[in-house]
Amino acid sequence: MTAQTVQQGDLVTVIGLEVHVQLETDTKIFCGCSTEPTDEPNENVCPVCLGLPGALPVLNEGAVEAAVKIGKAIDADIPEETRFHRKNYYYPDLPKNFQITQYDEPICADGELEISVEGDRRTVAIERAHLEEDPGSLQHVGGGGGIDTAEYTLVDYNRAGTPLMEIVTAPDFRSPDEVRAFLAELEEVLEYLGVFDAERDGSLRIDANLSIIPEEEIDGDAEEIDGDALEAANRTEVKNISSHKGAQKALAYEETRQKNAIQRGRAVEQETRHWDESRGITVSMRSKEEEKDYRYFEEADLPPLQVSGWKAEIAIPELPRARRRRFQEEYGLSEEAASKLTSTKQVADFYEDVAGEFDPDLAATWVADNLLGELNYRDMEITEMEGRLEEVTRLVELVAEDEITAKNARETVLRSMLDDGASPDEIVEEEGLGKTDEDEVQQAVVEAIDENPGAVEDYESGDDGAINFLVGQVMQKTGGSADPGDVNQLLRAELEG
Amino acid sequence: MSDANIFITEKSIEGDGDGPLAGTTVAVKDNISTEGVRTTCGSEMLEDYVPPYDATVVSSLKEAGATVVGKTNMDEFGMGTTTETSAFGATDNPAAPGHVPGGSSGGSAAAVAAGEADVALGSDTGGSIRCPAAFCGVVGIKPTYGLVSRYGLVAYGNSLEQIGPFANTVEDAAELLDVIAGSDERDATTRDAGDETDYADAATGDVDGLSIGVPTELLEGADEGVVETFWDAIADLEDRGAEYHEVSLPSVEHAVEAYYVIAMSEASSNLARFDGVRYGNSGGYEGNWNEAFSRAREEGFGDEVKRRILLGTYALSAGYHDKYYKKAQDARAWVKQDFDEALSEADVLASPTMPVPPFELGESLEDPLQMYLADANTVPVNLADLPAISVPAGETDGLPVGLQLIGPAFGERRLIRAASALA
Ligand SMILES: [Zn+2]
Repeated sequence: MTAQTVQQGDLVTVIGLEVHVQLETDTKIFCGCSTEPTDEPNENVCPVCLGLPGALPVLNEGAVEAAVKIGKAIDADIPEETRFHRKNYYYPDLPKNFQITQYDEPICADGELEISVEGDRRTVAIERAHLEEDPGSLQHVGGGGGIDTAEYTLVDYNRAGTPLMEIVTAPDFRSPDEVRAFLAELEEVLEYLGVFDAERDGSLRIDANLSIIPEEEIDGDAEEIDGDALEAANRTEVKNISSHKGAQKALAYEETRQKNAIQRGRAVEQETRHWDESRGITVSMRSKEEEKDYRYFEEADLPPLQVSGWKAEIAIPELPRARRRRFQEEYGLSEEAASKLTSTKQVADFYEDVAGEFDPDLAATWVADNLLGELNYRDMEITEMEGRLEEVTRLVELVAEDEITAKNARETVLRSMLDDGASPDEIVEEEGLGKTDEDEVQQAVVEAIDENPGAVEDYESGDDGAINFLVGQVMQKTGGSADPGDVNQLLRAELEG
Repeated sequence: MSDANIFITEKSIEGDGDGPLAGTTVAVKDNISTEGVRTTCGSEMLEDYVPPYDATVVSSLKEAGATVVGKTNMDEFGMGTTTETSAFGATDNPAAPGHVPGGSSGGSAAAVAAGEADVALGSDTGGSIRCPAAFCGVVGIKPTYGLVSRYGLVAYGNSLEQIGPFANTVEDAAELLDVIAGSDERDATTRDAGDETDYADAATGDVDGLSIGVPTELLEGADEGVVETFWDAIADLEDRGAEYHEVSLPSVEHAVEAYYVIAMSEASSNLARFDGVRYGNSGGYEGNWNEAFSRAREEGFGDEVKRRILLGTYALSAGYHDKYYKKAQDARAWVKQDFDEALSEADVLASPTMPVPPFELGESLEDPLQMYLADANTVPVNLADLPAISVPAGETDGLPVGLQLIGPAFGERRLIRAASALA
């Protein structure tokens, strides 16, 4: 472990995560309702996801397929057979007052994900990842908006039955920065797999357990935590985190709060705390959570599913880490450029399209620096360019074939493409940016001078006849289309300047 | 209509066209969902609940041209053996007035016995079709788990129960089974065994060479008159060419305990959704939502339902789960194994359906344990997921006695052939 994690003298931070990810499927996990977000409450519902008496769940194999993809990506064990259990608890957002989830036979077990934090590589163990159904959502009205104080509460079942994957890590994190790096990497992987839409509200929900342990209670390397020491320490569970940036802020706050308490000799309560994003603090959940007994038992309405063959049958795309390495080798890119170009699957796919047609370096400059830079400046995502990437390719082509200057392409054409929605050819035409014959002649002049240092030397030492040789060279380059008198003048101007 | 209190809701639902059940009237147990017609499960909690969809079996009835005549009385959520736990009052037994019709599908059996419907649908979690068939002197079939879709059947013990037919003859019951059997994409536990199978044409009454195993454990402790009537029926089958021998099912002594632990555990979860938000009395309570849920459940459920939910919750709780729920699952596996063995030595197994003749109305409500023990011969079949049929075997002291035949999984044709020798 690096020195930075054992900061503040002798206290070590230990964090484990439970990450809930909404899987991107067309229909819900146990019925045929659409998962498409909608503003109309209770629109995408049916007897099954409303939990009406007599309705039965039928497993959407698309959700299982997505789960198997995740399992492959995190190198998890996928069992021969997977099954579902009921988790029994009462809550107003739960249509049946039980949640169909997985218990002792999750679809994925013992996986891992590699992350890098400031150049250090670490492997985070993922204990399990299982499928379950999302509950509905509640809207508390009046009385401060809490469930216990609201005047009334509205229930929307549109979300009920959306497939969720709950990913549970080992307590392997030693800092909020590592958590952030992990979540960013996880999001990237999920997005590459095509099973996740980060843009969707509530698609990522994180609960984190954080404990502070005195260093001396840890055996040797801080990476290996003694289970007893962890058990002995009071931990807080921080809920309501919804992004990797939020996770880092929430946990940094919680880490400081606990360390301050310990250093002032106060005990850290074992409790559940709520991350208040707008205030940037964690708040103790007033009603002390009792130890819950979920009375898990098998869901007899869903027969066990044989998944032994699925791992071999389901293919997953090249993942970000592997692609990053390949980009460095295959296209000779720097690590930084390769990272930028693999940040999302769309970016990487687009880069490979462009690099296939033009020089990979030129393609890298255009995709990583120019396009992403201008998009970032406008707070846009590459997904918003869907359908217009051909235009960007055309712009790179104009530059590659020397039809416009790189400066004009970047500063005028690309910006106007993004701001006004025009096509590159329209903009070039309108702004008169196309290189003229004069530009071509001027370029030939520069080249002729570069390529014939002998003649240049003769000219400079007073041999005026040498200019005729250079004029001949330019005439050759321009295919005889230039006016020899003009060329003569241009050459003299260039050589004198 | 008689004053036997057979129906909770009388409502005619016409089927389409001229299918195999055109002209046939069907009574449907009130825990089977009917679009636009309230489905109460015999509970105050669902007094006003009108499903927005049809159970798969109801769609099948309509397609087959049947006319549904009403929704029949039942023990609340199927929890009872007499139909007396219904929030809508008890049903009288048309075959033995002053006595219970059995339960929990008492209204459906009574409808057929009283001629209020040609045939009826019930559901059987631990004997709820066979018991009332026996008590009302009609035929009832509990199909193999997975033969008939449960989509739209309000769940009590969902790993145990099946929808099945009642009729005056085995052939009529088999005809109704033909209509409702078969795989359903809305019920993942259904199998395709019933898709192409013809049940009605198996009702030939031919029992020549049939080997009948009689599990001695299922005769122990039974009423003398019931046992006598049972043996008379076996003798009748022997006269027609069947032979019988005794077999043993040692595990069934644990079956009642195992059954109740499993059924109550599942019930505690299945009935959790009835919390006053969308069903029963909601709102108007002081206190938090948790207290409001408790109040709604306290008011909406009857005593027997509350008893089973509490016991089921207990059996699944941390610290008791292994002692009760897990042990019951082990016993279930053992019962299955015993049946497999017994059925490897016989074509069908036979027993009295109920160890006792029908109780007098009001007689049994006092003692739930006596009630639970009356299920001793029917619950093992549900634990083993097997098919069984109850046919009238005769009478004792003027009260109907049923004969139960049990077959191998998806062996309904064999049961129908054997039982059709008697009714
Ligand atoms: Zn739905």
